[in-house]
Amino acid sequence: MSSANRSLKRAPGAYVFYIAGVILLGIVVAAFVVSLFWTPFDPNATNAGAKFIKPCLEHPFGTDNFGRDLLSRVMSASKYTIYISVAGVAIALILGTIAGIPAGYFGGYTDKGIMLLGNSIMCFPGILLALVAVAVFGASVTNVIWALGLVFAPTFARVCRLGTMEIKELDYITHARVMGVKPARIMTLHIFPNLVSQLLPATVIGLANMTLFESGMSYLGLGVQPPDASFGKLLSDAQAYFRVAPWLVIFPAMMLVFYILGLYFISEGLRVSLSKGGK
Amino acid sequence: MQGKAGYFVGKLIELIVTLLLVSLLVFAAFSIIPGDTARVMLGPDASQAQVDLLRTQLGLDKPLVVRYFSWLLGILTFNPGTSYAYNMNVGTLIAQRLPVTLGMSAIAMLMVILISYPLAVLSARKPGRLGDQICSVIGHVLFAIPPYVASLLLIMLASSVFSLLTVGTYVTPAEDFAGYVGCLLLPSFAVALPKIAMSFKFLRSSIIEQRASDYVRTSKSHGLSDLKILVRHVLPNSNVSSITIISIILSDILGGSLIVEQVFNLPGLGRLLLSAISRRDFPLLSGIVFYLAFITVLLYFLSDIAAAISDPRIRLK
Amino acid sequence: MKHLITKSVISVMALSLMATSFAGCNKKPADANNNAVVGITQEPGIFDPHTVVAAGDEEIIFNVYEGLVKFDKDGKLNPCLATDYKISEDASVYTFTIRTGVKFHDGSDLDANDVVYSLKRAAGLLESQDGTALVSELDSIKEVKATDDGKVEVTLEAGNTELLSFFTTGIIPEGYDNCQAAPVGTGPFKFESYNPGQSVILVKNDNYWQKGLPYLDKVTFKVCADMDAGLTELAAGSIDIFPYLSADRARQLDSAKYNILSNGSNMVQIFALNNKVEPLNNLKVRQAINYAINRTDIISVTMDGAGVELTTAMSPAMGSFYDKSLDGTFKQDIEKAKALMAEAGYENGFNITCTVPSSYLIHVNTAVELASELKAIGINMEIKQVDWATWLDTVYSNRQYETTVIALTSAYAPYDVVSRYQTSASGNFINYSNSEVDKLLTDIPLTADEKTRTDLYHKVLKHLTDDACSVYIQDPTTITAVSTRLEGYYVYPMYVQDMSQVKLVQK
Repeated sequence: MSSANRSLKRAPGAYVFYIAGVILLGIVVAAFVVSLFWTPFDPNATNAGAKFIKPCLEHPFGTDNFGRDLLSRVMSASKYTIYISVAGVAIALILGTIAGIPAGYFGGYTDKGIMLLGNSIMCFPGILLALVAVAVFGASVTNVIWALGLVFAPTFARVCRLGTMEIKELDYITHARVMGVKPARIMTLHIFPNLVSQLLPATVIGLANMTLFESGMSYLGLGVQPPDASFGKLLSDAQAYFRVAPWLVIFPAMMLVFYILGLYFISEGLRVSLSKGGK
Repeated sequence: MQGKAGYFVGKLIELIVTLLLVSLLVFAAFSIIPGDTARVMLGPDASQAQVDLLRTQLGLDKPLVVRYFSWLLGILTFNPGTSYAYNMNVGTLIAQRLPVTLGMSAIAMLMVILISYPLAVLSARKPGRLGDQICSVIGHVLFAIPPYVASLLLIMLASSVFSLLTVGTYVTPAEDFAGYVGCLLLPSFAVALPKIAMSFKFLRSSIIEQRASDYVRTSKSHGLSDLKILVRHVLPNSNVSSITIISIILSDILGGSLIVEQVFNLPGLGRLLLSAISRRDFPLLSGIVFYLAFITVLLYFLSDIAAAISDPRIRLK
Repeated sequence: MKHLITKSVISVMALSLMATSFAGCNKKPADANNNAVVGITQEPGIFDPHTVVAAGDEEIIFNVYEGLVKFDKDGKLNPCLATDYKISEDASVYTFTIRTGVKFHDGSDLDANDVVYSLKRAAGLLESQDGTALVSELDSIKEVKATDDGKVEVTLEAGNTELLSFFTTGIIPEGYDNCQAAPVGTGPFKFESYNPGQSVILVKNDNYWQKGLPYLDKVTFKVCADMDAGLTELAAGSIDIFPYLSADRARQLDSAKYNILSNGSNMVQIFALNNKVEPLNNLKVRQAINYAINRTDIISVTMDGAGVELTTAMSPAMGSFYDKSLDGTFKQDIEKAKALMAEAGYENGFNITCTVPSSYLIHVNTAVELASELKAIGINMEIKQVDWATWLDTVYSNRQYETTVIALTSAYAPYDVVSRYQTSASGNFINYSNSEVDKLLTDIPLTADEKTRTDLYHKVLKHLTDDACSVYIQDPTTITAVSTRLEGYYVYPMYVQDMSQVKLVQK
């Protein structure tokens, strides 16, 4: 705690990042929390008589081609976006770390084998993998999340592997090895904590890519099923109407950018304070 | 590792095993997902007899394993087979789509380098100054704009503000080269935006780090000019990481341009891949995946070698 | 150093400025040439006139191949490569008089032997074939032969008054078997090239038998990923004709540059209820669903109002075979729907899934609106999107579904529309079964008298509506944008693009 305090003091830049990040992410999280209890309208109730209403007092974000209130839809979409991206990245992160650290630490055939598998998964079209997941386990958001997690795992594995290769050459790790500390202990207690600063930006990129990949998959009908939506799905639905109803693009895009930027700023803040604190 | 030859042979084996593994995965996926190629080609109005006839004509009545091995045999003799849906050689089909995907990758890459390098060098000269701050903030924001959103916003901007109506029209390079480059500019920019931010951020911090290192300080005290230090020491050393970054960016662009192609209506490899999946066109899909895998593995391979060449520590060994 | 960097920054900026101006001068002047570009949304792939089944291919090759008879823009069959035809009393022998002076694209002359070869090939009667008809409706052909006076006689296994429209099947030169790679027909345009995923190019047939036609030198069918891609291409002026717009998108176009044509598409959009699964096997439930929904609202949100409401299996575009008395049968009546649900024992409603093909936005949107409307009578409908291949496999072929939304297309033949409701029909994916309908459907092809036949059709449609076998929603209107530089384009009640009459507007 005290070291964190000290590092915050030493790095004034981190404050700015934290504040900006918390505000931006806060908007999205607030929308999510409130949507659990209340939305101005039923986000899925259609009303043919109220199509394409411009943003006004009653509908601050306007309405869509079904006459549904966009603010309500954006609020409930935050739920799916957060759920899918966080759960997907968590899976990818866990799988990637478990595979990447030993690969970097042991090198040799362990490394070759793991990287080979990782490369193969990376080359495999994610959409096809999602189709398989849905075919085998049924069409649900959870299955798609597993597929997404698997698709993104190699990226994290690469980051962990490269980081581990650098860190294991550091004196104190070599020292620990010579002292006979078990590899598992070295990897979990000494290497992993040092990887956090490298994994954070990768996690944020992963979160951003995950939200997008998910919306891309809706082209094949995978992911969130209508009438529910995520930010990405709202955007892909809006594409058809951007000429007549630009607000359908602007508001979901804004929330999506808030979400990614908010996460990103917080990770930047963490990185800045961690790197200053580490020195 | 026994010298350079051993290294290359090792990498080559890796490449082959990866490609085999990928094709095997595609094959496994196809045996799992529902959908009948002949039925997709003929549509719901065709009778079962017609569908069966087409199945026999295409050789779809043979078990998947047999088809996989005949495909594999084809690949070994450099013949990727014939697409079911298009009734054309898979190699030809891929070659037709390459101008879009490669052109977009090249232009996006060029944009990344041309914009991020100068800005990073400029920013890193005086870290913390106003210019640096502004660049960093813009970088952060750009980084958070995914290509999909960027594509939509760019199309909106181009068609409504600048009334550039060419968005969404593809011109082949043979027809009109300037037009071809022109129609790829916006989509490439949409793909490049977050990568520019990523590369800028990375380069900037890497240059600052190198600057602060002992040898640069020593060179400075020996009276070397800023420019010389930058060109001789700082950039080459930050290159280790920038090459890695570039290869990651390239493979991202290659694999991730699917959505952008869709939004901008470009007939690229991504759309061909999507069409192969939705039509259950096994030879075409395996061909594309095989090709993409080949490029990706090659990129990593090249970046490994480049890193080995430019990293003094690796060189010393 | 500083200068160098500033310079490079400026040059980067200049480059990006150039970039934007490049994009600006990318407009292609199309007016100078006597050609037209048609946007299509379905990837073409099959150019053999006898294996073509997908509508997306048919719309192109309509200009390349011709049959003995040909549809006009009102859906009427006119003599084409046959100058005349005669149907025997029991409708089991069709005799065609072959037109003379017609040349194939390869320069050879059309004669009766070409017709015999083509029809045999389509019916699977060639010696090299295993008997499976390539055009399944022509399966009932027993024999095709040329008579001494240059006529062609087609004998059927049983009488069938409904077969004439399938003699639109393309005629190809005798012995020719390479139609897929190099199509050869007698149509107004010759096949020039196919660029998968991009375009199909047709050029003028200078020897076309209808003098003066066609007007255009070249027609390009350009593949657009979807309706929105087509809209962008229209806005950019890179396509001249685009037939698949929705009303709200059509409004976004500049009316000085595009004329908007609209016409019934002769499709039947259906909210298909699997008649074999609980609780949809209950007539009252199916009726309740029919009363619960509001077709006007569905058409409003899915087609922006451009659709014709349907309550039965046939579109009014079918003329007299359509039964007008069924119009407005299921007017929305929530109370009645609730009462029916209660009678069926479902006063608390039930859960159901709707499996829709994700590539068809109109059907997905329809499902969304339906789900919202069905809530009113306690039905909680979950939407499950699947890709088209999966839909065909699980829903259409294997009938593993509860409900779905799809548009049924048909050749422009009334029998083709209703024949799928026969219990044993392979297209009967809603699992409908009514012995009276089966009997009627067996009788229709054997009935020569047009008036009686029309009556039989009306009876079938009445049964389908009375049984509330599914929910018929709409015949979506085809909205076509045609560049104001062109004239003579007509929207057909079937899935074809007739380019033979299209010409430049004389200034």
